[in-house]
Amino acid sequence: MHSVDRRPRFHRLACLTALVVSACAAPADRAAPGRAAIAPLVDDFGDTLRLARAATRVVSLNPVVSEAIFALGAQARLVGRTRWDDSPPGMRQVPDLGDGLQPNVEAVIAARPDLVVLYATDANRAAASAFRRAGVATLALRTDRIADFARIVRALGVALDDSVAARQVSDSVARSIQLVAALPAFQPPVSVFWHAWDAPLITIGAGSYLGELVTIAGARNVFADLPQPSPQVTLESVAARRPDFVLAGPRAAERLRANPRWQAVEAVRAGRVLVVDTALIGRPGVRMGEAARSLRALLDSARRAQP
Amino acid sequence: MTPTRWVLLFIALAAACAGGLAIGPVPLTLVDVARAVAGQGDPQSVAIVRDLRLARVCLAMIAGAGLGMSGAALQGTLRNALAEPYLLGVSGGAAVGAVLAVVAGLTAAVTLPVAAFAGAAVAVALVLLVARAASGRADPRVLLMAGVVVGAFANAAIMILLAGAGEGAVRNALWWMMGSVAGAEWSAVRWLALYAAIAGVTLVAVARDIDLLALGEDAAAGLGVQVARATRRIFLLAALLAAITVAGAGLIGFVGLVVPAMARALGMRRAREVLLASAVLGATLLVAADVVARTVRSPAELPLGAVTALVGVPFFLVRLRRAT
Repeated sequence: MHSVDRRPRFHRLACLTALVVSACAAPADRAAPGRAAIAPLVDDFGDTLRLARAATRVVSLNPVVSEAIFALGAQARLVGRTRWDDSPPGMRQVPDLGDGLQPNVEAVIAARPDLVVLYATDANRAAASAFRRAGVATLALRTDRIADFARIVRALGVALDDSVAARQVSDSVARSIQLVAALPAFQPPVSVFWHAWDAPLITIGAGSYLGELVTIAGARNVFADLPQPSPQVTLESVAARRPDFVLAGPRAAERLRANPRWQAVEAVRAGRVLVVDTALIGRPGVRMGEAARSLRALLDSARRAQP
Repeated sequence: MTPTRWVLLFIALAAACAGGLAIGPVPLTLVDVARAVAGQGDPQSVAIVRDLRLARVCLAMIAGAGLGMSGAALQGTLRNALAEPYLLGVSGGAAVGAVLAVVAGLTAAVTLPVAAFAGAAVAVALVLLVARAASGRADPRVLLMAGVVVGAFANAAIMILLAGAGEGAVRNALWWMMGSVAGAEWSAVRWLALYAAIAGVTLVAVARDIDLLALGEDAAAGLGVQVARATRRIFLLAALLAAITVAGAGLIGFVGLVVPAMARALGMRRAREVLLASAVLGATLLVAADVVARTVRSPAELPLGAVTALVGVPFFLVRLRRAT
C-alpha cells in the first residue's frame, strides 16, 4: 500500500496558503491607479468593458470576487458586497448591499461605484443591463469551476490596474492546488457522497467545483456520472451507490446521523459521516488550495481510522 | 358494486404497494421485500424497505386515500364532478396554514396537520362566503369559481410569506409545494394515519347526508337534513383530509378529481361506496404515481404533484367539455 502521509508537502502547501492569506490581510491598497489606459475586457456575457482608468469604487456582487479583491490588497476600493460575503474577517466592514442574484439595482447605484462585478448568470442579465444604462461600468464573471479563478483574478487585475498582484495570487492558488493533486491516490480507492441539501436531496455532479475538489483530494464522487453541477438524487440511489464516506456540513451531518431514514446508507450506519468546513470549502475562491488540503487530510484521517 | 370489483380494487392496491416496495435503485425481489419487512436479510435491504420504501408507500396511501375521499365528498355535496380540494382552494388554504406553521417553527409531525387544517378550514369558509355573496346560495359553479379565486389568493399569500425567507427556505418550500412523499418519516406517517382514520371514518358515517344533499338542497331539507349544518360538517371533514395530505406530502392536485369519477365509472352510486372506493383508488393511484416519480428520472425524482397533474389535467379538460 502506498503511504499517503506527505507532511512536508502539506507544510509547503500551508506556506503557500499563508502567502494568499497574507495578501488578503494586507491593509494598504497596493495598486497604483492612474495609468492612462486600461485594456478592454470581454466579460462572460460577451460584453466589452472599457475603463478609462483603474476602478476605485468597486461593488462586488459575488463573494468569490470580493475575496479575490481582498487577496489583491485592493479592499479599500471595495464599497459594497453581498449579504453572503463572510470572509476574510475585514469583509464585514464593507457595506452590505443585499442579494448577489437579482440584486437591488438602486442600492448598488446609491453606493456610487465606478465598477460593479457580478456573477454571470441569466438571473443577473437584467441587473447588468440596468447598471450599464445607469452609466456604471459592469463586469459579469462566471465563477463555477477551478479554472475560472485564474481568469477572474486576471480580469480583476486589469480592472484594478494591478496585474502583478493578480498573477501572484493566481499562481499561488494554482500551486497550492497542484500540491494536493500530486499526492498519490488512496489505495484502496475512496468514494464519497457529498450532501449539499436536504429537501430535495441535492448532491454534486461532474460539472461542479466541489466535484473537481473531490477528485483533487484523491477521492471519487459516487455521482460523478451526472453532468449537472447540483443534481437532485434520491436517498435510495445514495444507498445503492454505497459511498465509503458521506460528506456534509456540521448541522447536516448531525441531522443525517439522527435520521432513521439515512440508516439505509451503509456509510451512515457505520458512522462514516465526515463533517466538512463548508465556510472554507464551499467557494471556488482564493482558499481553494487550503480547501483541497483540508479535504484530503479529512479523508486521509478518516480512512486511517477505519478498522 | 359487486364483491368481485371490490376484490379487484384491493388486488390493484396490493400490486401497487408491491411495486412501490420492490422497484427502486436497489433491485429487490418480492421475496427480498418480504424478508426485509420481517427484519431479515442484509441490513441495507431492511433499512431501504422499512425506513424508505414502506414509509413512503404508507404516506402515499394516506395522501391518496385522503384526497380521494375529500374529492368524493366535495363532488357529492356540491353536485359537481369538477369539485376537488385542489381546485376548490382547500389545498391552497392548507398550504398557507402549513407554511405559516413552518415560519413560526411549528414543524412537529403532530402540529403541522393542525395548522394545515386551520388554513383549509379558513379557505372553505372563504369559498362558501364568496359563493353565497356572489349568487345568494351555494351554487356549484360559483363555488368552483370562488375556489379558484381563493386558491390564487392562497398562492399569493405563500409568495408573500416566502419573499422574506432565505434561499434555502424558499427552495424547501418550492419543493414541498410541488408535492412529494420522498421525505416520509414514520413519526409523521403515524400521526397522519391517525388523523386520516378519524376524518375518514367520520365522513363515511355521514355518507347518508351526502346522498341526500346530492338530491339538491330543497329535497335534502324536505327529507330532514339540516342543510347548512350538514354541508359545513362535510366540508370541514373534506378539508381535514386534504390538510393531512398537504401537511405530509405537499400540494398534490387532481387525485380528488380523477378518483371519484373512476369509482362512479366502476358502478358506485351510493356515497358510502364512492367514498370507500375513492379511498382505495386514491391510495393505489398515488402509490403508482410515486413509483413513476422516483423511477422515470432516477437517480433524480419528479415532483409527485407534476405526475398527478399530467394525468389529471387532460381528465379535467374532458370532464369540463362534458359538463359544458
